[in-house]
Amino acid sequence: MSGLRSYIFKAAVRLLFFLVNVFALYLLLRGHNLPGGGFIAGLASAIALVLLSLAIGLEELHRVMRFDPMRMAAAGLAMAAVTGAAPLLFGRPFLEHFDAHLTGLPLLGELHVGTALAFDIGVFLVVVGIACKIMFALGKSTQRLRALVAEEERRYSAPVEQPIEEEPPIRAATNPSTPSPHVS
Amino acid sequence: MNWPVAPILLPLFTALAALFWGRPGVGRRSLVAGSAAAQLAVSLGLVCATLEGRIFVLGLGAWPARFGIVLVVDLLSALMLALSTLVALASVLYAYAESPTRAEHPLRAPLTQFLVMGINLTFCTGDLFNLFVAFEIMLIASYALLTLEADDWDIKHAFPYVGINLFGSALFLSACGLTYALFGTLNFAQIALRAAPCADDPRLWVLALLLIVVFGIKAGLFPLYYWLPNSYPTLPIPTSALFAGMLTKVGVYVLLRIFGTVLPHELAFAHTLLAVMGGATMLLAVMGAIARNFIRGILSFHILSQIGFMVLAIGLFTPLSVAACILYIIHHIVVKSSLFLIGGVAMRLNGTDDLERMGNLWKRTPWLGALFLCQALSLAGLPPLSGFWGKYLIVVAGLEQAQYALVAVSILASILTLFSMVKIWNGAFWTGSDRVPVRTSDWRWRAMTAVVAGLTCVSLAIGLGAEGVVQIAIEAAERLLDQHAYADAALGFLGKTAANPIP
Repeated sequence: MSGLRSYIFKAAVRLLFFLVNVFALYLLLRGHNLPGGGFIAGLASAIALVLLSLAIGLEELHRVMRFDPMRMAAAGLAMAAVTGAAPLLFGRPFLEHFDAHLTGLPLLGELHVGTALAFDIGVFLVVVGIACKIMFALGKSTQRLRALVAEEERRYSAPVEQPIEEEPPIRAATNPSTPSPHVS
Repeated sequence: MNWPVAPILLPLFTALAALFWGRPGVGRRSLVAGSAAAQLAVSLGLVCATLEGRIFVLGLGAWPARFGIVLVVDLLSALMLALSTLVALASVLYAYAESPTRAEHPLRAPLTQFLVMGINLTFCTGDLFNLFVAFEIMLIASYALLTLEADDWDIKHAFPYVGINLFGSALFLSACGLTYALFGTLNFAQIALRAAPCADDPRLWVLALLLIVVFGIKAGLFPLYYWLPNSYPTLPIPTSALFAGMLTKVGVYVLLRIFGTVLPHELAFAHTLLAVMGGATMLLAVMGAIARNFIRGILSFHILSQIGFMVLAIGLFTPLSVAACILYIIHHIVVKSSLFLIGGVAMRLNGTDDLERMGNLWKRTPWLGALFLCQALSLAGLPPLSGFWGKYLIVVAGLEQAQYALVAVSILASILTLFSMVKIWNGAFWTGSDRVPVRTSDWRWRAMTAVVAGLTCVSLAIGLGAEGVVQIAIEAAERLLDQHAYADAALGFLGKTAANPIP
């Protein structure tokens, strides 16, 4: 990985990170009626984060951006689900969306907004969170880092975690309660 | 109007709440258990409403049924929802009884709820692609659950499960594409209307075969079942009960739905194929069960063997045999889950589930023995327990069709089932040995047995109230096979259009 951490790459990524994220925002906002949307925007944004992690390293990224990708995805899912379920309160079908055309806004003039945007932002967060989680986990395993940072370990790991051993565990050999590999 | 979405949204929000709650504790446990009970209540409400002849239809996003995705809950869907939420509730309660909060994996509760969400969406949906999505939700949650508390031995056995299901998903996706190319729609109701005139079209036969392979993988039919019996025993007991009860039955339900409601009824070759595959599955799997010598392994093979009975009933394809299949599903889900849970209690008491090192359970814990006898004999099909009625109807339907070979195979499989159940009974309960400890000092087994007793009561009620349950099953089968009523109901959702602003 050290080969990538050249000065030029770092400087380029510093610029690209913002460019890609702005493009992701653009994709997100145009998504409802034109090609784009939360999913593709989330992928673009995740790519920006992966680029940043390549430039500054995964440990440094964790220090700079203190977010838990799992919680981000869960928050996005909650946002999408709440947006979908909100019409139920008014007796409308699940996932129905509403829009409004606002005129005479200061600075913006006319604006067409819809609840679909909130749903798309939820999708965006889910995709960013999941993509980051998967790629960071893979990246960590290639760099021999621990799979979970301390905070994640507190939240998501089993209370009695056994390390995965190099050799087959002794349990398999002596305890017949595990199935035999062959249908004997 | 929105009731069909409730059994999907409740698990989703519960899973999210559990994720944000963080570490397991009493509060989180009560939340999840309360939600599971609420899901069961909603599903039972749906059963009551659909028994009166209603079909719930919900077009998502207020789109008309022809353009959007519809959720359709008829009697069969409601019954399946009730069963899945019942088993989920039992599994959740059993997990609480089994381990203290500090030993609980924090991700197990959210993942289980996501799994239930996927299962429920499968039962509710009225759209082929949405069915694919439901399968994916269910499968991804099941992959995670399968490897969550696993060591590398378990992961090795989880690998075939993941592999074949990914392959099945790819095939399913191509089947969706083929369907869209043939009919220009993925809506069940519209496919049913458009497929009805082309029962002789070979392209439809290809589609039917493809769907048999896809859902045969899911259900565990004869040439496609090797992934199941090694992967299920690696799961923690409460999760394995949920898997054993629901996941393969999802495949059977979809076969019922596809061949009953969606595809034309004249596909005789596909029905014959299903019947033969069912017969082969029940015989070969029960032989596998006899060869195993630990409880979870025997029970895992029995899941497959029983799937054979259900698919045979679908293959005979008369209204009576479809009713028999539905009755068998109702019986089997409850009995199979409770047998896995009983196996878990026995394993806890003896410290192993290897039959050669178990014993003394009948002497020390007669109540557990009684529960096991009840459920095991029900699985084997002894009257008046619930398993008997399903098998009886299948045999009657088979004799009506003059399928004597398949009837003989099913009776032989029942006898072999009884044999392997007696093997568990002898090994774990009847054998008296001084060297086998029975750890009754650990009070947790009592709470676990109480959960199993609840499920056993349901199963006994099904067996003793068979007359009513058979009537319900016949009713559900008639509605399932009535393609026009289904299509009218589903396509009757007009949604929000210019002429009809309020759906």
